[in-house]
Amino acid sequence: MPSLSVLREIDPAARIAPDAVVGPYCVVGPDVIIGPATVLTRRVTVVGRTRIGSGNVIGEGCVLGGEPQDLKYDGERTLLIIGHRNRFGRDVTAHIGTEGGGLLTRIGNDNVFADGAHVAHDCYVDDRVRLGRSVLLAGHIRVQTAAVIEGLSGLHHFVTVGRHARILRQTPVRRDVPPFTLFGSDTHGAASQPSVVGPNEEGIAAAGLSAEEQRELRYALGELFDEESALQTKIEQLVNLGVEGEAARLCEFCNRSLQGVYGRYRELYRGKMPPEADRFLPPDSGLEPRRRLT
Amino acid sequence: MPRISKHAIIEPSAELADDVRIGPFSYVGPDVRIGSGCRIDNNVTIVGRTTLGDRTRVFPLAVIGAAAPHEETPGECVLGEANAIREHVTIYSGIDSPTQIGNHNLIMIASQIGSGAIVGDHGIFDNYVQIGPHAYVEDYVRMSGFATVGPGAKVGAYSFVAGYARVDDDAPPYAMIQGFPVRVRGINTRNLQACGFGKDDIHALKLAFRELFNGRGQEVNRGALERLGDGKGVNAHVRRLVEAVRAALDTAGGSGDA
Repeated sequence: MPSLSVLREIDPAARIAPDAVVGPYCVVGPDVIIGPATVLTRRVTVVGRTRIGSGNVIGEGCVLGGEPQDLKYDGERTLLIIGHRNRFGRDVTAHIGTEGGGLLTRIGNDNVFADGAHVAHDCYVDDRVRLGRSVLLAGHIRVQTAAVIEGLSGLHHFVTVGRHARILRQTPVRRDVPPFTLFGSDTHGAASQPSVVGPNEEGIAAAGLSAEEQRELRYALGELFDEESALQTKIEQLVNLGVEGEAARLCEFCNRSLQGVYGRYRELYRGKMPPEADRFLPPDSGLEPRRRLT
Repeated sequence: MPRISKHAIIEPSAELADDVRIGPFSYVGPDVRIGSGCRIDNNVTIVGRTTLGDRTRVFPLAVIGAAAPHEETPGECVLGEANAIREHVTIYSGIDSPTQIGNHNLIMIASQIGSGAIVGDHGIFDNYVQIGPHAYVEDYVRMSGFATVGPGAKVGAYSFVAGYARVDDDAPPYAMIQGFPVRVRGINTRNLQACGFGKDDIHALKLAFRELFNGRGQEVNRGALERLGDGKGVNAHVRRLVEAVRAALDTAGGSGDA
């Protein structure tokens, strides 16, 4: 038996693991699956078509699986999939996907979401990501493994945050953030365009790279982000030098961002199925990926 | 019969239309009126002398009609039809004058509408937007995440306020507004097209913007304001723009802020 609180409302159709905890004033909708040892503390709302794995702790006032805040959303029964061992602070919100954006929102494993963080429709948050207070992820964003986003930062639709990157607090992020970088801005003046402000040493140290790979990555980071201009040329120079491993992946990431719109690679998936949808859409979901190639 | 959760708390004197739906653990105060087709989710609080128009949707944990932090008791709050009030939104009620929200607005997660503020129709307010007490936001405005409107400030119709922008005084209509302090970055063409403006109107506005706001968009060209202010043969939208800019200059004490 799940541990019962007196006042809570769980739809009889919801599937909740025997040792999951649903605290007082929680509301769980009919199309929800909650895995073992997951704790809904108090006043947690889980609605929509939401799958939550095991060992998650969900703080007071969180609302998971709400309708997308997208005017194109028209009641389609899309998914929110949450992996294992994630920690949600208070008032965190995450929405289900939209049909036009890939049918699901996906949160991986071992992520930490501080109070008031928001994961919008069709986002993909990988593993070990940390979101600070009130961080706003707009729709269609990908946050790669072990990225850190500090408090009050807001990310534009279709942005990609590279692995082990760190976004400094209160940063309006309008374009892709390359892996292993620190990203921020000094002012909020109209002309301010946040940019890479240096290598993220913490991330480089945590990624388990060999000494040689670290050296090459630091060299590539130094070359690429010395100044804004002619990033394309610098990428080509590094590729011609034959950089390998993370440095090569960094070049590839930057190259993709340049191909995108306003420095956002994922803009190319606007109105199409993103590649992650194929990977993460459960085969038994009954949702048919509809490819709208233009 | 209303479909009201057995776990909802509805004060007996609240007036609810017959088909209102209210989720568990929500509270509806004694002086609240809720129109037909409204759907109130769980854990919502509605207090004060608050009226919700027909087909309003209120999502979990929103608070409508709350007393402003410095007030002891809630005041009055009037919402029109078909608004969507998302999770964790707070709408404060007004004491001297009611907080008024028009029709068809989408107020996204954790936004706040201050005491006595007035919001028009068809607005879209992204997450964490703050509209200060007694501020006035006209129709068809879109505000991006973390943007704020100061107490008593005004945002003109059809304008777009970019993320993190801080509107302290009056921002003109039809404009793209950005920054800290705000600057007019140009005309909000996409929104005007979406709202059915004709090519001629958009072109006239574009020319007027180019004349009125110089390069960096922070100062108003007063000569251009006089020329366009003559009114003869001027496009109606341009006239509205000119009047708004002139009024803004007057309230700002002629400091020249747009």
